[in-house]
Amino acid sequence: MASLTREWIGINTFASATQTKLLELLGKLKQENVDTLTILVMGKGGVGKSSTINSIIGERAVTVNPFQSEAPRTVTVSRSRAGFTLNVIDTPGLIEGGYVNAQALEIIKRSLLNKTIDVLLYVDRLDAYRVDNLDKQVVKAITESFGKGIWDRALVVLTHAQLSPPDGLPYEDFYSKRSGALLKVVRVGAGLKKQDKQDFAIPVVLVENSGRCNKNEIDEKVLPNGIAWIPHLVKTITEVVLNGSKSIVVDKKLIEGPNPNERGKFLIPLIFAFQYFFIVKGIERAIKNDIAREGRPSWE
Amino acid sequence: MPSFAAPTHIQSTPPLSSSRRALASPTPKRTVQCNFALPSFSSSSSSSSSTKNPKPLKSFFKTLAAASASSLLLHLRSLSPNLGGSGGEGGGFGGSGGGGGGGGGGFWRELFSPALAIADESQNQEWDSHGLPANIVVQLNKLSGFKKYKVSDILFFDRRRWATVGTEDSFFEMVSLKPGGVYTKAQLQKELETLATCGMFEKVDLEGKTNPDGTIAVTISFTESTWQSADKFRCINVGLMPQSKPIEMDSDMTDKEKMEYYRSLERDYKRRIDRAKPCLLPPPVHREIMMMLSDQGKVSARLLQRIRDRVQKWYYDEGYACAQVVNFGNLNTKEVVCEVVEGDITQVNIQFLDKLGNVVEGNTQVAVVKREMPKALRPGKVFNIEAGKQALRNINGLGLFSNIEVNPRPDEKNEGGIIVEIKLKELEQKTAEVATEWSIVPGRGGRPTLASLQPGGTVTFEHRNLNGLNRSINGSVTTSNFLNPQDDLAFKLEYVHPYLDGVYNPRNRTMRVSCFNSRKLSPVFTGGPGVDEVPPIWVDRAGVKTNITENFTRQSKFTYGLVMEEITTRDESSHICPNGQRVLPSGAISADGPPTTLSGTGVDRMAFLQANITRDNTKFLNGAIVGSRDVFQVDQGIGVGSKFPFFNRHQLTLTRFFQLKEVEEGAGKSPPPVLVFHGHYGGCVGDLPSYDAFTLGGPYSVRGYNMGEIGAARNIVELAAELRIPVKGTHVYAFAEHGNDLGSSKDVKGNPSEVYRRLGHGSSYGAGVKLGLVRAEYAVDHNSGTGAFFFRFGERF
Repeated sequence: MASLTREWIGINTFASATQTKLLELLGKLKQENVDTLTILVMGKGGVGKSSTINSIIGERAVTVNPFQSEAPRTVTVSRSRAGFTLNVIDTPGLIEGGYVNAQALEIIKRSLLNKTIDVLLYVDRLDAYRVDNLDKQVVKAITESFGKGIWDRALVVLTHAQLSPPDGLPYEDFYSKRSGALLKVVRVGAGLKKQDKQDFAIPVVLVENSGRCNKNEIDEKVLPNGIAWIPHLVKTITEVVLNGSKSIVVDKKLIEGPNPNERGKFLIPLIFAFQYFFIVKGIERAIKNDIAREGRPSWE
Repeated sequence: MPSFAAPTHIQSTPPLSSSRRALASPTPKRTVQCNFALPSFSSSSSSSSSTKNPKPLKSFFKTLAAASASSLLLHLRSLSPNLGGSGGEGGGFGGSGGGGGGGGGGFWRELFSPALAIADESQNQEWDSHGLPANIVVQLNKLSGFKKYKVSDILFFDRRRWATVGTEDSFFEMVSLKPGGVYTKAQLQKELETLATCGMFEKVDLEGKTNPDGTIAVTISFTESTWQSADKFRCINVGLMPQSKPIEMDSDMTDKEKMEYYRSLERDYKRRIDRAKPCLLPPPVHREIMMMLSDQGKVSARLLQRIRDRVQKWYYDEGYACAQVVNFGNLNTKEVVCEVVEGDITQVNIQFLDKLGNVVEGNTQVAVVKREMPKALRPGKVFNIEAGKQALRNINGLGLFSNIEVNPRPDEKNEGGIIVEIKLKELEQKTAEVATEWSIVPGRGGRPTLASLQPGGTVTFEHRNLNGLNRSINGSVTTSNFLNPQDDLAFKLEYVHPYLDGVYNPRNRTMRVSCFNSRKLSPVFTGGPGVDEVPPIWVDRAGVKTNITENFTRQSKFTYGLVMEEITTRDESSHICPNGQRVLPSGAISADGPPTTLSGTGVDRMAFLQANITRDNTKFLNGAIVGSRDVFQVDQGIGVGSKFPFFNRHQLTLTRFFQLKEVEEGAGKSPPPVLVFHGHYGGCVGDLPSYDAFTLGGPYSVRGYNMGEIGAARNIVELAAELRIPVKGTHVYAFAEHGNDLGSSKDVKGNPSEVYRRLGHGSSYGAGVKLGLVRAEYAVDHNSGTGAFFFRFGERF
C-alpha cells in the first residue's frame, strides 16, 4: 500500500486547459500552506473507485478489477508535482454477500494507521436508480470507523455520469433526484442532524471514467451537462480542503475505539461503596423486615 | 377413671430420595415420641389402685408432612381425665376421682395387646350362665361372686330425664365395660365404685337383667351431679404445683369444726389458684366457654365434660400434646376453675446412643445440638409437638446423625413436668466412596478395542464433625479415564467451618475454604442465528475460594469472600488459545477472533473479592412458589493478577411470584395461579475478559435461544414474565422474555457478538407444561420467528 512518491507525470496526459486549471488549484492550495493532500476513496464494490483514481492521476496507477476485487487491501498512490504531494488511497469494496464486510473495514482502518485523511471520496454510481438499506449501512460503517467528522471532509462522487436518463427525464432533473436521494441516505447513515446539514452541505461531483467520454472543443472530458469534470472535481476537493474543518488523523484510538476496559475505571471505588451502602444494606434491611413480618407459629 | 395416659407417637419415615449422602450412610430414622402416662393428679387415697386398661377417649390419627420431606405419623391417644368436685359439697375440690398409677403400663398394654387380648378371650370363652329365670332384674349384690357373667348389653338410664341415653352420650365413654365382655361380680362392683367416685354422678346404680341365653343385660342408672350456675370461667396451669393434701375429715367433727375445715379448704384453694400460672388458653376460647356456661343454667357434669373436651381440643389442635385437664375446682361458686397440666418442660436431656442403643459419650458437642433447639423447647416452656418436630428437622439438618428421637417423658421427680429426651445416633465420622465406570470408546476403524476401554469414576471422601463441632473436610476427584487423568481430571476439596463466632454465639456464620476446578464451554464464542458452527472455546478454571456465609433465615444469606483462580482458554483439541477462531467466508479458519483472555496469552490469573446477598422469602403454597427473591452479586477486582485486573462486575436479579387468587392452605388443596416477574441486570466497569462477559440466550436466560445466541455484552438486561396455571397436580405456563445488551456488545474486547453475527437483543415467547422435574415447552424465538420444542430440567426462576 505504501508506494514511493513519484513524479506526477500523468498530469501531462490531460488536455492543456485541464492542466492549467489543475496547476492553478494546486497553487491555491500551496498558498494556504497545504502541500500534501491525502484522499481516501471508499464505496461499495464495483462502483468505479479505482477507475476514478486512475482518471484523476492520469495513468493506470491501480488495477481495475471489473468483476471481483482481489484480496481486500488498500493501495496508496502518491504523486508529487512542483513540491505538492497528492496521496490517493484506494480501498476494497465494503460489501460482501449483502452485508458490510466488517473484516474489510477492519483491514482498511489498520492500514490507515498514523495517516491523516484530508478528503473522503464516497463513490457511487449515478446510473443506479434507487438507494437501499445497504447504502445506509456502508455510510454507517464509515461513520463508525472514522467518526462523524469525516463527513465534513467528504465528497459524494457519482460515476458513470454519461448516460441518457430513463423516460426522457432531463439530465439535470435526474442528477438532482439521484444525488438528493443519496445525500439523504448519507445524512441518515452518518447520523447528521439538520443543523449539520446546513453548516456543511456535502458536495456532489459527477465523474465519467469511460474512454468514450465526450470531449469538448479544447479536448477536455465533459459530461452531458457540459462541465469538464476533472477540473471540477479537483476544484471541489480544494474547496472541501479549505472549508475550515479538520482533517481526520487515524490513530490507534480511532481504530480500536476508546478502550472500554478503561472507561469509568476511576469510578469503581465509588461504585463499590454505593453497592455496599445502598444495595447490600438495602437488601439486608429487607431481610430483617421479612424476619420481623414472618408469621411465627403460635407455639413460639 | 384414675389413670391418664396421653401417649403420642410420632414416627418419621425417611424420604425416598436417593441423594448421594443417603446412599453413603444408613438411611436415617427419626422419631419423636410423646408416649407417657401422666401420673394421677388427684390424691384420693381411698380408692384402690386400678389395674383396668385405660379406655381411649379419643384417638387421633394424623399424617403430617414436614417441610424436611420426612413424613411424620402421629398417634395420639388420651384418656378421660378426672373430674373433680365432690357431690355438691361446698369447696367442690377434693376427694374426687381415683388415684391409681398404673397408667403407664396401661398404655403399653393397650398398644401391644390387641392380639393377646383376643387370645385371652378365646380362652375365657367359657362363661357362666346366670342360672336364673329369664327377664328378671337382679341387683348387683344379688349376683354370685363365683360366676363369670357375660354382658350382652349395656344400657344407660338417666334418672333425671327418665330416659335411656344412647351410646353417643358423653357419659358412655366413662364405662370400661363392653357389650359381649365377661366380668365377675367384683369387676362389676369396681366399675360401679369408679363411676360413683368420679364426681360426675350424684347417684349411680348397676343392675342386671337376665336374658334367656344365660347372659345378662346391664343397666346403669344414674343421677347427674349438678352445681350452682356460674358466670365466670378461669383456666389455670397447675403443672409443677405441689398437690395439696386434703386433711382427712374426722367423722366426729362438730358442725363448727366442719365449717372451719371447709373454710380452710377454700382458703387453701384460693391460694393455690393465685399461685398457679395463667394458662395458654386464648381469649376467644375463653369467651366460647363463658357462652357455654351462660347458656346452661346449672353447671352439670355433662357441661364440665364438654368444657373439658373443648379446652383439650384447643390444646391438641395447637400441638400441646401433653396438656390435660385434670380437675374442675371451685364448683358451687360463681366461678368454674379449670385446672390444666399443660406439660411444662423441666429438663432437656441430650443423649448419644451407639449402634446397639447404649447410651455413650458422643463425639458431637452438646452445644451444637442445643443451638438447633427451638426456643419453645427449653425448660420452663410448655411442650409442643410442633416444636419437637422443628427440633427434629433442625437437628436432622445438621447431617450428623443417622437416627434422631425427640421423646418427651414425664418427670418423675417433678409431678406434671416433662423431660424432653433427645436420643441421637451419630453417623460414621469418616466416609469414603468410590464409584467406577468403564467407558468404551471407538478405536481405530470404529470398532472398540481392548485399549479403548477406559476406567473412569469418582473418588469421594469426607471427614465430618471434626472436634465435634460439625467442621468437615470433603473432597472428590472425578475423571473419565484413570489411566490418563490429566485429560479431564475434576477435583474439589472443601473445608467447612461452621459457628465461626463460636458455638454459643447466636450469629450463624460459616466459613468455607475450597479448591476447585471446572471446565465449561464458553457461551461467548457461539454463533448467532444462521451462522455455521463457531469453533468452541473451553474455559478451564482452577483456584482457591474462601468465603464466609452468614445465614439470616433458611433461605436468605450473605456470602462474601476471596477468589483466586487461574483461567485457561482452550480450543477443541485442548490447546491453549489466546483468541477465538472464526470461519472466513472462504471457509478457512482464522485464529484472529476476539481475545479470550485479558492478558492475551490464553491464561489469566486473578484474585478478586466476591459478595453475594440473597433475600428469599418464597414459600410453597400448596406446591406453588409465592413470594419474592432478590439476589445481588458483585465481583470486585483488586488489581491482583495478569494485567492487574481492576473491575467491578455486578448483577442484580429480582424475581416476584404473585399469587393471583387466595386459596386455602392444606394438603391436597389446589395451588393458586401465579404470575412471575423476573428482571436481571448485569454490568461491568473496568477490565472485562471475554469469559466474564454476560451472555444472553439459553434456558436460564432468554428461553427459545441457544446459550449465548443473542449476544455477549458488558451490560445486559433481561426481563421475563410467566403465568402459571395449576392443572391436575402440575401446572401449565405461558411466558414472554426479552434480553438486551443495551448496546454494550461493542464494549467487550473484540466484539464477539458482532464477529459471530449476533444481534445483541432478542425476545421470545412460548408455553409449556411442567412434568415432574422436566419442563416441556414450545418457545418462539422472535429474531428468526421460528419456534421449537424444548425439554429442560429444573425451573427457570
